Amino acid sequence: MELDCLGQRCPIPIIKLAKALREVNEVVLLSDDPATEPDLLAWSRMTGNSFEVLATATYLVKRN
Amino acid sequence: MGSVTAGFQSETPLHSAASAFLLDAFDRGWADPSKITGESRKAAILQNESKEIFSSHLGLRVDQVEFLADPEIGFHLGISGLLGPGSNLYYSAVDRSEVYAVAQSVVSQQLAVGIDGSSDYPTADPTDVLAWQSANGETGIITPKPDNFHGRVFVDATASGSLLELPENWSTSLWNSRTWQGPAGLGIFAVADRSIWRSPLPQTNNAISSSNYSPPLAMASAIALEAFHREYQERQFALTAMGAKIRDFLLTEISSVDVAGTLDSTLPHLLSFSFLYVDAQMLVRELDRRGFAIDSGSACNSSNMEPSHVLAAMGLLTHGNVRLTLQPQTTEEQVDQLLVAIKDVVLELRS
Repeated sequence: MELDCLGQRCPIPIIKLAKALREVNEVVLLSDDPATEPDLLAWSRMTGNSFEVLATATYLVKRN
Repeated sequence: MGSVTAGFQSETPLHSAASAFLLDAFDRGWADPSKITGESRKAAILQNESKEIFSSHLGLRVDQVEFLADPEIGFHLGISGLLGPGSNLYYSAVDRSEVYAVAQSVVSQQLAVGIDGSSDYPTADPTDVLAWQSANGETGIITPKPDNFHGRVFVDATASGSLLELPENWSTSLWNSRTWQGPAGLGIFAVADRSIWRSPLPQTNNAISSSNYSPPLAMASAIALEAFHREYQERQFALTAMGAKIRDFLLTEISSVDVAGTLDSTLPHLLSFSFLYVDAQMLVRELDRRGFAIDSGSACNSSNMEPSHVLAAMGLLTHGNVRLTLQPQTTEEQVDQLLVAIKDVVLELRS
């Protein structure tokens, strides 16, 4: 599933991401907000989920 | 029922002891303390009195106390003044933006920090310089002393004020009068050893401060420092108990909160925490509407819309951030009311 959050500001991408992960196990998140990458790190630590950077502003997020 | 108004921001009104004294200080201290007329003598006495107060509270010799009309210039004086040819500057990823600004113009290396605020210091030459903050202003986290750094050390004491001692190996140090409810527009600056420091500003002599600071403001700041320090010591037990209560409440009453540091690793009156899935701007606005003024390090609350570089560097959640400063005057009742309001607003914003 691809989730396009380009142009959206924090915390909207993380909120939408968490909602999406209720339905599916993997999401490709497109987000160019400067807070997204540091927040994905903190969010992974807090929730036990994981992510990898695929390209600029593109992240593969996996539910634990 | 009227709303309770309580301030938990880092800025405070001038301490009452200082504002009561200000008119008298301007009456006595308007003349140039370096001249020899009677009025100048009065101003010089005022200046010496204030230097003695700063010296005893900040752990300095009286002749080391210097005043700056612009505290921000102290970062440049303190760091660049220690750099010689071939010096490397080491600074931390959680340093203030003023340190970043100096680092950009010289040979420098940024040190990574752990979630506890610690860094590994490199093997340094004696002429290398470390920019070291005694405590972090955003998270309250106390930095471990840089004992094993063998170069020169600039101390940013603008968050800790008089509450933490200088490390043994300090070379230059900077304080901001605002930290102890003193007047704005005054920095306190000190150089440990004048032989290794050169003014980085264009001037004919090697004076530390070329700025025309206001002696009455310096005296008012000294009085604020004395009063604030005494009140803080008297209330330290209560402040620590309030800090513990806030941490406990956040972790048990509200889910998914990222709290910076522990009670033992922070200055007890400074707290930073972030709520997952919460927009900090809405949180700040809602709490303000209910009479609580708080700070935030989240992007939507900054002028450049960038998230706090401190939170990002420490790996802490940058959105939904709240920064609380407890003052010696803060009451437990105010804290209780704030916590109820925070829980209320967070649950509302998450729904």
